[in-house]
Amino acid sequence: MMKEAVSFRISEIAKLRPNELPDELTGSNGLVYSSPATLAYNSPGAEGFGVKRAGLAVPESVMLIVSPGCCGRNTSIVTRNPEYKGRFFYLMMDETDLVTGRHLKVIPEAVSEIVEFLPKKPKVVMICITCVDALLGTDMKRVCARCEEKLDGVRVAPCYMYALTREGRRPPMVDVRQQIYSLLEKSVRKGNEINLLGYFAPLQEDSDLIELLKDAGFAAIRQIGTCRTYEEFLDMSRANLNLVLNSEAHAAAEDMYEDLAIPYAELTRVYGIDTVRAQYKALGQVLGVSLDDSRFYEEAANAIEGFMSDFMGASVNIGECINANPYELALSLTRYGLNVREIYATAAPEHMVYIRKLAEISPDIKLYCNLDPSMINYSRSEDKPLFTLGKDAAHYCPDAPNIPWNSDVQPYGYRGIVSLLNKIREEIR
Amino acid sequence: MKGLRKVLTPFAPDQSGAVGVLYEFGALIVVIDAGGCTGNICGFDEPRWQISSSAVFSAGLRDMDAILGRDELLVKKIAKAHEAIDVKFTALVGTPVPAVIATDYDALSYMIENKTGKPVVAVRTDGMHLYDEGASDAYIRLIETFAKEKHEVNKKAVGIFGALPLDMGKSDREKIRSYYLDQGCTTVRMYGTGAGIEDVEKVSSNALNVAVSSCGIDAVTKLNELFNTPYEIMDPSKFDLTFDSGRTLVVHDEVCCKTIKERSEGTVETATFFDTHNDDIKLTEEDEFTELVMNGNWDNLVCDEALLPLIPEFKGNFISLPHFAVSSTGDES
Repeated sequence: MMKEAVSFRISEIAKLRPNELPDELTGSNGLVYSSPATLAYNSPGAEGFGVKRAGLAVPESVMLIVSPGCCGRNTSIVTRNPEYKGRFFYLMMDETDLVTGRHLKVIPEAVSEIVEFLPKKPKVVMICITCVDALLGTDMKRVCARCEEKLDGVRVAPCYMYALTREGRRPPMVDVRQQIYSLLEKSVRKGNEINLLGYFAPLQEDSDLIELLKDAGFAAIRQIGTCRTYEEFLDMSRANLNLVLNSEAHAAAEDMYEDLAIPYAELTRVYGIDTVRAQYKALGQVLGVSLDDSRFYEEAANAIEGFMSDFMGASVNIGECINANPYELALSLTRYGLNVREIYATAAPEHMVYIRKLAEISPDIKLYCNLDPSMINYSRSEDKPLFTLGKDAAHYCPDAPNIPWNSDVQPYGYRGIVSLLNKIREEIR
Repeated sequence: MKGLRKVLTPFAPDQSGAVGVLYEFGALIVVIDAGGCTGNICGFDEPRWQISSSAVFSAGLRDMDAILGRDELLVKKIAKAHEAIDVKFTALVGTPVPAVIATDYDALSYMIENKTGKPVVAVRTDGMHLYDEGASDAYIRLIETFAKEKHEVNKKAVGIFGALPLDMGKSDREKIRSYYLDQGCTTVRMYGTGAGIEDVEKVSSNALNVAVSSCGIDAVTKLNELFNTPYEIMDPSKFDLTFDSGRTLVVHDEVCCKTIKERSEGTVETATFFDTHNDDIKLTEEDEFTELVMNGNWDNLVCDEALLPLIPEFKGNFISLPHFAVSSTGDES
């Protein structure tokens, strides 16, 4: 008998309490299916900014991966990108290392050899360790300190690629941000400088957020993705405010508040035009200014109106390999007038707010979880959508035009909405 | 420095080799990891993943599972997956995590068999060896589990071991199949790339087994011990690659090396980063390869292009021979 992929009508899920989400939707308590979405984050070196790429977001840094060979294997995908060529090094562990911890003693020597080997001395060596050291309880900070003793001014910092702790209190992508920003040293703050924290690549070039911050009087708006030198990166310690755009940077912002006395405020990326407006209004209050976003609002409103006049009621399936919260995106697009049919995304209690609102206006949306083993049985819908959003959605609906919308450069705010609609129009034309 | 790689990325690990063998046998393949190892296998070392899915899953281990050794939870997850998917058996593939916590594979297999009623093949890989060792072990475990009976020999059946995507490209596999069909065989069982589990059950009916790469050698010798099946160790897809003059160095899999050496009339020396049953020069570190090439006065060098950055000053002829386990390049898609 042919078995089917497990799915739920969104109206069924909306009735549940946040802690009652079924295992098949949360991906917990089950084996994990290696769907494209799973691979995008389960294979940290493979796609997007996993721990390895994130660690190298620090300008003029190199990385030593200390691990069994298997953990470094897929890094060659990353090194095909010229930006990372010659920046990864490996110290491969064997069984004796596991038993005796012998590998820890040779790390300083390995780091020195790498620094000597490189034609241009790096400013920072990130040491990336993996699950085995998580279990061994390695004190990598101490090892890093020993490395620094042997080097003349080169900083050495740990990166923890601990997949085992993904759902823990400090998941790897939270921790790596803390490690990166811990390199900053306290300096005199400047009232007209601000940092955008959360992403490793910059916001889209024409971002309205950046325009609005300039309007508010900020002369320096720093993102790690735009820092070309280590010195520029260190200048982030001068900011008067950190703006957290991705919740995975919350802990780093908290650390920076403690260590550097830089306060922070948080915004969330959304595709609902009125929510963007509400967030900017709140941001203005935090900054003590009134942000005039009307030109950007009108631009986005016109883009939405124009798009819907051509595509009202068009069907779309949405995945989670995307620069968006798939549930928020589905809600926004449904409100604009699109017909979201299927969402392929892991559900979590914090998504319930969107799920409930979506269920009110579109109760038949089907929810699938990329992680669930039954997804291997997913058979493409006979009634194919007009298009799909998210790289993973292309796997499930190969016959429909796909807009991956998962670039390194981050869409944001009103211009994020406009860019998305333009991209969809371009692809389905 | 021992173990330090400054130019090359690590080669395909043992767990990728194990999955490479198991991929097409209709198993529920459970990689006992937190997710990253499975991601590496499916997203990188297994080119078939992009073309045809197999039931390869991560155990989704979390720190507390490892610390507390929650094998019963893993058994429960596996049993639940059996309800969702039609599979013939369960295959367990080890990673560094079970190696650290000393997972008892025998006990785990026993518990899973009891719960699911289906056989379990456990491959005790740990991510610290190379793919050929994991693949070799997977072959042996499959034979031990499924090749129980002696069948009547089919004089026109040949079994091919070691023709995995990690070993060679699709076109080379086709060359091997064509070679044996041209030799008069009517049944060519490619174990790991095409054969089903019923072909493992009937492996004793093969009139000949052939190891076309290092990872198939232990399997064909074991089958010789068990069923007295004759075997050969050679790679027919490399028959055209010969060197009849000058000094040639081949750095590849041992069977590939052996085949080229035996059919060439010129001086051919062989070396490998992988396991070898022959007198090939065994390489482990980057510097060893560089010294071998630069101090050997070779006219020809045959190896994967990924090794070239180690020898920028090599002036001889370079003949590219891709090895997916080294560079992850090939003609699979």
